[in-house]
Amino acid sequence: MARTPPQHEITQLLAQWREGNQSALDDLYPLVYDELHRLARRYMSRERKGHTLQTTALINEAYVRLVDQKNVQWANRSHFFAISAQIMRRILIDHARRHQYAKRGGGARQVSLEEAATVVPDQSEELLRLDEALKSLAEMDPRRSQVVELRYFGGLNNEEIAGVLHISENTVTRDWNMARAWLYQQLTGSGAN
Amino acid sequence: MTPDRWQKISRIFKSAILLDNEARAAYVESQCGRDESLRVEVEKLIESHGKADADSFMNGVAAEAVAPLLTDSEARPEILNKGQRFGSYIILDSLGSGGMGEVYLARDTRLDRTVALKVLSPDISEDKRRMQRFRQEAKVASSLNQPNILTVFEFGEADGLTFIATEFIDGETLREHLHGKRLGLGEIVDISLQVLAALDAAHEARIVHRDIKPENVMLRRRDHVVKVLDFGLAKITEHKSPSAEHDSDPEAITQFRTAPGIIMGTINYMSPEQAQAHKIDERTDIWSTGVIMYEMITGKIPFSGSTTSHTIVQILEKYPVPLTKLVEAPAELERIVMKALAKKPNDRFQTAKDMLGDLRSLQKRVELDAELKQTLPLITRTQDDLWRQKKRVLVFALLGMLLVTAAIFAVNIWRSSRVSNIPPVTPAQRTLTYWITVQKFKNNNPYQDPFTLAGEINFEADYRIRVNVRSPQPGYLYILNEGPASGTPEYNVVFPTSTANNGASLVPASETILIPKTSWLRFDTQQGIEKLWLVFSEDVLAELEPVKQFASIETGGLITDPALNKSIKDLLDKHSSNKPEVEKGESLTTLKAGGKLLIYAVKLEHH
Repeated sequence: MARTPPQHEITQLLAQWREGNQSALDDLYPLVYDELHRLARRYMSRERKGHTLQTTALINEAYVRLVDQKNVQWANRSHFFAISAQIMRRILIDHARRHQYAKRGGGARQVSLEEAATVVPDQSEELLRLDEALKSLAEMDPRRSQVVELRYFGGLNNEEIAGVLHISENTVTRDWNMARAWLYQQLTGSGAN
Repeated sequence: MTPDRWQKISRIFKSAILLDNEARAAYVESQCGRDESLRVEVEKLIESHGKADADSFMNGVAAEAVAPLLTDSEARPEILNKGQRFGSYIILDSLGSGGMGEVYLARDTRLDRTVALKVLSPDISEDKRRMQRFRQEAKVASSLNQPNILTVFEFGEADGLTFIATEFIDGETLREHLHGKRLGLGEIVDISLQVLAALDAAHEARIVHRDIKPENVMLRRRDHVVKVLDFGLAKITEHKSPSAEHDSDPEAITQFRTAPGIIMGTINYMSPEQAQAHKIDERTDIWSTGVIMYEMITGKIPFSGSTTSHTIVQILEKYPVPLTKLVEAPAELERIVMKALAKKPNDRFQTAKDMLGDLRSLQKRVELDAELKQTLPLITRTQDDLWRQKKRVLVFALLGMLLVTAAIFAVNIWRSSRVSNIPPVTPAQRTLTYWITVQKFKNNNPYQDPFTLAGEINFEADYRIRVNVRSPQPGYLYILNEGPASGTPEYNVVFPTSTANNGASLVPASETILIPKTSWLRFDTQQGIEKLWLVFSEDVLAELEPVKQFASIETGGLITDPALNKSIKDLLDKHSSNKPEVEKGESLTTLKAGGKLLIYAVKLEHH
């Protein structure tokens, strides 16, 4: 299948990043992006056959494929998940954006009455708005926005998020509650900001 | 909202939501004091928290929530609509679709010019490193400013899709131009000269096109200038194989990434070295130009089988019918085309310049020759014409061509008869060529065109396959499937069955055996490596003959006799040290084993 970057390369980059080398992340990002994107597409094509899209399974698969399991330190795994959550967010947002373009088609295309009546709440639009709201949240409160990213885009559970961010699980729960309530407010327009 | 304010709200919020309604109101009020707007904001947030719960807002993960939109409309994200904005372009019209993606007529809003926009399908553009190499080559080719090479304006990405903007040629492809009509000699030579001029310039810059075919040759309407398209593009769809040219990534694994349609469309123009995924150079383009010329002259593609694999066998083995047997054509033209179509690159024109030179000389001669100057279509030869042709040949003999041509024909005819009549048998060696046809299925119906490959890819659950084998030798063939289960294997008999080869294990020489003949093999749900044992023996194998009785569609050929499974395993184990030599080509794998018995496991990984 796809040309897989050498495992040791990724493993090393992860270690360097964990040790605080930010440029390692720049090198890591495209490698992981390619792999996740490829896997996501494969999962998405399975989705057509009635399976659900399992983000965690997907990231796990990427992890197993990309990282040398023999020489890996456990802490690398959470870092891998952290970057993967970020990348999944980008992949999904790209898809949603493309979907929006495709849907808009000829710009001011006329929609027939029947068509207009069957328009359902559009998930892609909602996802794009969520992404925007999450960016605003990150400006005020980077940690809470990261919790959302890890949980909602990365599919991590609270325990894993706590491990990635070095906070307690209780804090993860509280951060999530707050962030989600605020995002809901932003998206439903019930917020007064 | 300032971060300070936000922190204040969140501090009150996190405690408040743990309280019941009454206590909560009191708590919020006590915390906010006289700051009314703070109280309102906290209360709104608490309300949102409750509603979000009730709405199951952001339950699950994003990928699940958006999954529906990733299905249908995302199946072909590269399809754009008229009027749609795409980066700084506006789509004006669709120009058609190719294997690599869709082509549009578009307006570049920055420079206000019309361009052809090729949007690569995500499958193609996924491999960033390969894309990078393609970009380099295409840019270099374009920068040569050769009038017969299509100019590339821009590579870019928009909406997550990779695109190439090139000059727009108002005209038709050579494929369209050829449709249903025969060209005159003058036009054929003129088109060929322009293609060769493009190749000559590119080859000088060490760029090999790799995919010269009528679809990649455009004829401009107003002046019939020829433009060769897609320099370097073939690079990103090429397959990799151990014998392929080395590149910067030695860890690259064999991959079949070409969409089925592409290989079907391209294969006829592939050179023998390309079809075998050997190292290729400029001379592969010489071959493909020869194929195009042959097609323009005779109206027939020289190498064309009923399947991809048959075509490949023809490319490797068959010598095309001489042009002069099919049409009235100058012998010198025949010599040029046949030289381009030499199986060995060393026997071809070594450069496009050489071929260009010979063709130009011919053109001059043709122009001098009043009879040949007419650009009437070449006439298909009939019996009546034959003696007239003889006279014409004499004319060319005066030009000193006859001896050369005759010699080449003699050699070719001798070679082709040798290929078809005398199988290249080496004593005590078994040779077996195999390839696999893959048919995707969707809802139990065939989906897209089948494609073929030499060996191992990751098979998806809905892929069904057919195994094709062929040997220059007759022999007894047995094919057994061993699933990924551990423990003592239970084999499934794949061959012989009642449908393929009429149930006999003895297969004739030089005949392609399709297994199964009319249906497909499908994988069961157990994931992992499926081994397909190919056993090819000079003598009948008593150990394996009994497998026939288990060939049944109902049981999938499962061999239920433990004793038989054991003896099969023993046989396979016993010969496991005698590994055949494996020559993996692009679409065929050839196995060669010393002795009278060849055993090889094709490993198919499936999900």
